[in-house]
Amino acid sequence: MLKIIIPTTMLIPLTWLSKSNMLWINSTIYSLMISMTCLPLMNQFCDNSLNMSLLFFSDSLSTPLLMLTTWLLPLMIIASQYHMAKEPLARKKLYITMMILLQVFLIMTFSATELIMFYILFEATLVPTLIMITRWGGQTERLNAGIYFLFYTLAGSLPLLVALIYTQTTLGSLNLLLAQYWIEPSTPVWSDSLLWLAYMLAFMVKMPLYGLHLWLPKAHVEAPIAGSMVLAAILLKLGGYGMLRITLMLSPTANFMAYPFLMLSLWGMVMTSSICLRQTDLKSLIAYSSVSHMALVIMAILIQSPWSFMGATALMIAHGLTSSLLFCLANSNYERTHSRTMILARGLQMILPLMAAWWLLASLTNLALPPSINLIGELFVTASMFSWSNFSIILLGINIVITALYTLYMLIMTQRGKYTYHVHNIKPSFTRENTLMSLHLTPLLLLMISPKIILGTMY
Amino acid sequence: MFRGALWLLAGRGYVGRGLSTRSGGSTPDWTEKVSEIKKKIQSALPGGPWDPLYDTSHLPPEHSDVVIVGGGVLGLSVAYWLKRLEKPRGAIKVLVVDRDHTYSQASTGLSVGGIRQQFSLPENIQLSLFSVDFLRNINEYLAVVDDPPLDVQFNPSGYLLLASEKGAAIMESNVKVQRQEGAKVCLMSPEQLQNKFPWINTDGVALASYGFITSSSRMQTSSGKEMTLKRIHEVHVKMDHSLEYQPVECALVINAAGAWSGQVAELAGIGKGPPGTLEGTKLPVEPRKRYVYFWHCPEGPGLETPFMADTSGAYFRREGLGHNYLGGCSPTEEEEPDPGNLEVDHDFFQDKVWPHLAHRVPAFQSLKVRSAWAGYYDYNTFDQNGVVGPHPLVVNMYFATGFSGHGLQQAPAVGRAVAEMVLEGQFQTINLSSLLFSRFYLGEKVEERNII
Repeated sequence: MLKIIIPTTMLIPLTWLSKSNMLWINSTIYSLMISMTCLPLMNQFCDNSLNMSLLFFSDSLSTPLLMLTTWLLPLMIIASQYHMAKEPLARKKLYITMMILLQVFLIMTFSATELIMFYILFEATLVPTLIMITRWGGQTERLNAGIYFLFYTLAGSLPLLVALIYTQTTLGSLNLLLAQYWIEPSTPVWSDSLLWLAYMLAFMVKMPLYGLHLWLPKAHVEAPIAGSMVLAAILLKLGGYGMLRITLMLSPTANFMAYPFLMLSLWGMVMTSSICLRQTDLKSLIAYSSVSHMALVIMAILIQSPWSFMGATALMIAHGLTSSLLFCLANSNYERTHSRTMILARGLQMILPLMAAWWLLASLTNLALPPSINLIGELFVTASMFSWSNFSIILLGINIVITALYTLYMLIMTQRGKYTYHVHNIKPSFTRENTLMSLHLTPLLLLMISPKIILGTMY
Repeated sequence: MFRGALWLLAGRGYVGRGLSTRSGGSTPDWTEKVSEIKKKIQSALPGGPWDPLYDTSHLPPEHSDVVIVGGGVLGLSVAYWLKRLEKPRGAIKVLVVDRDHTYSQASTGLSVGGIRQQFSLPENIQLSLFSVDFLRNINEYLAVVDDPPLDVQFNPSGYLLLASEKGAAIMESNVKVQRQEGAKVCLMSPEQLQNKFPWINTDGVALASYGFITSSSRMQTSSGKEMTLKRIHEVHVKMDHSLEYQPVECALVINAAGAWSGQVAELAGIGKGPPGTLEGTKLPVEPRKRYVYFWHCPEGPGLETPFMADTSGAYFRREGLGHNYLGGCSPTEEEEPDPGNLEVDHDFFQDKVWPHLAHRVPAFQSLKVRSAWAGYYDYNTFDQNGVVGPHPLVVNMYFATGFSGHGLQQAPAVGRAVAEMVLEGQFQTINLSSLLFSRFYLGEKVEERNII
C-alpha cells in the first residue's frame, strides 16, 4: 500500500515545483501512472484478504473502490483545467494540492485495517472537500452548501466515534480482520439498538439516506467540477463501504433496527427519482439521481444477503463512474453557455455530435441498460429485495421506470430537438473533454466483460 | 386581606410585564449595536485588502441566466414574459439592470401614452392589437393575489388620424392592411367627421381613419454568416456612485436600453468593423428629444375626444376630466433639438404646435400651457421601427429596442415575442422576422408610412 500512498503524497511537491506550462500535464500523467500501480492489487489470491502491513490491507471489496479512487484523480485534474485557467498560478497549485490530499486520505481510508484510523481519515476527507466547495464553487450559495455538507456529516459521525471507542474498550481491538471472527451473538440488550444506530448513522448521512440527504443537492450543485466528481463518485461510496464492513460486526443481534431505514430508502428512492423529473437545473437533476441510486445500495446492505452485497458493490462502482461522467458532461455544457438551466441549451446533438454520443452512452448506463454493470448491480439488488419481501418489487419496479424516464428526459432535453439560437456559436468539443469522457466510459464498458472483479467479497 | 394579596400578585405581574417589554425592546437595538461596532472597528483599523466581513448583499448576484439591460417597459415586459412562458416553474433566473431606479430620463415615464393600431406595417398592427388586449385584460396578466386589482388608466377613446389630399391614398391602403390584420378601423369623410366631432375644423382634411381594437398571430426565423461570432460571457454591473462592480455571469443578454441601446450595443462590440460589412453595422438607435406640452382649455373637446393626429404632424389627447390636454409635434429633420439634456423649448410650442392645433380645433385658440417636459425617443435612424431578436454575430445578445416613439404601445407584445425567441427559438404568435437586426446590413427598410 505504501507503494501507492507515497507516490500520491509526492504528487504534492510535484505540483508545487512544476513550471506553469507543465503543471497540468505533470499532475495528470503521474496520477494516471499511480492508478496503474493499483491494478496488481486486483490479484487477490486469497479468499480472505491481502494483508500488506499492520495498518493496510485490501480485499475484494476495497480493491475496486481503491481503483476507482486512483482512477478518478487524473480525471478530476483533466476536468478542472478549463475553469482554473484564469486563476493565478499559486491558486491552481493549491487546488490540485487539495485534490491530491483528498486522494491520499481516501486511499488510506479504503485500505485501513484499524477502525479508528478509518474514522480519522473518514473525517479528514471532509476538510479538502469543504475547501474546494467553498473557495472555488460557482455562486454565493456555496457557503450555505459547505455548511450543510460539513455539519450534516460531522453530526452524523460523532456518535460513530463514541461507538468505536466503546467497542475498543469492550472488545480490546478494532482490527477489522479480527473483528469478524470475534463477534458472538450475545443476549439482546436494549443498548444494542443504540449501538447499531451510532455506528450506522454516520454512513447513512454520507450515503445519503433519504431523510438526511439535504446536503447533497446543495453540495453537488455548488461545487466546482472536480468537487462534484469526487463527491458523487467516491465520497458517497465511503458510506457504503463503511456500512458493508460494520454490518459484519453488528449482526445479528440488532437486525430489527434496519427496518425503519429500509422503509426510508424504499420510499426515498421513488421520491428522489420523481423529483428528478421536475428539475430545471441539470446538475441538480444528476445530484438527485445519485440519491436515488444510493438508496438502492443502502437497501441492499441492510438486508445482508450474499446476492445483495454483490449487487451493492457492483452498483457502487458503476454509479461512481456513471455519475462522475454525467457531471463532466453537464460541466462541458456549463462552460459553454454559462448557465445550468436545461431549457436554455437544447438541441446540442446538431452542434456537438461526438459529445452527443457520450451523452447517449452515459444516459444508457444511468438507466441501467443491459449488459452494463449498472444493470448487474440493480438486478442483484432487486432480486434479493424481492426474496426478502415480495411487495418491495412494486416500488423497485416504479423506481426503475422513473429512472429511465428522467434519464431520457435529460437526454432529449439537452441533445434532441431544434437548438436554441444562442448556442450555435459555442466552441466545439476539446480533445481534452473527449478524453475525459472516454476515460470514464472505458472502465464502464470494459467491466461488462468481467464483472466478477467488482462483485465484492461474496462472489 | 384577600384583596390585598390579589393586588400584590397583580402588581408583581405588572412589574413582570414591564420587565419583559424592556427586554423585548432591547432586541432590535442589538443589531444596530452590532453594525455600529462594526463601523467603529472598520474606522479604527487601517483598511486592508482582506476584509472578511465584506457584505455583498447590495450587489446583484454573481450568476444569472438572462441579464436584461434596461428596466423600462420593454425590459420589464421581456422579463415578465420570460417568467410567464417558461414551462417548468423557476427554470430561468432573470436579472433586470437599470442605471436609474427613479426612471427620471426613461422614455417610458415621459411618454404621451397613446396606443393605436393604425400602422401600415402588418407586424406593427399585430403588435399593437395584442398590446391593447393585454392592457384591457391587465388583471388577467399582472394581478397579484390578495392585492387590489390594477388600474393602468386605460382610456379607450380611439385614435383619429387625419390625412390631407396627398396622404389620402396612403391612408386608404393602410386601412385595407389594418382591416386584413383584424383591426377595427373606419374611414370617414370630412362631413362624417364634422358630424361625429363638431369641434373639429375639417379644413384641408380629405380622409380620416378612426380605429378601435381586437387581436391575431404567426411565425419564422433567420441565420447568421460565417464571421467572427462573439459571445457575451459576463456583464459587469457597476453600482451607483461607486467604483465597485459585480461581474454577472450570464447565458443571454437582452438589450432593452431604449434611447441608450446604441451605446450598450457598442460595448458588446457591435459595429466595430469595416463599414459596409456585417461586423461594421452599428445598431442605429440614438436618443432624440421630443417635447410634450400639457395645457388647459375650458372650451375644448369633451369626453369623446380621441387621440388626434393632425395632417401637419401635431397631435393631442385628453388627459383626465378637467379639460386638460397633452400633446406635441415631431420636429422636422432640420429642427431636431439637441438630445444632450431634457430642457424644454417653449418657443417650439408657440411657433410650431399651437398654430396647427388652433387651426384644427378652433377651441384651442385660447389655451393655457400648464407645464411641459421632454423625453427621449429611442429613435431608429434607419427606418424608425423596432429591432427585435438576436444579433447575427454576437450570438447571445437579443434586442428589444428602437421603437422610435411607439415602444410603450407595443411593449407587451414585443416582450412576448422576445421571450418566445429565447425559449422556443422562433417567433410563435407574431412573426417579427422582418424586424430582425440583419435588415440593417441587408439594407431592407421596413418603413412605416404614417409616422408621428
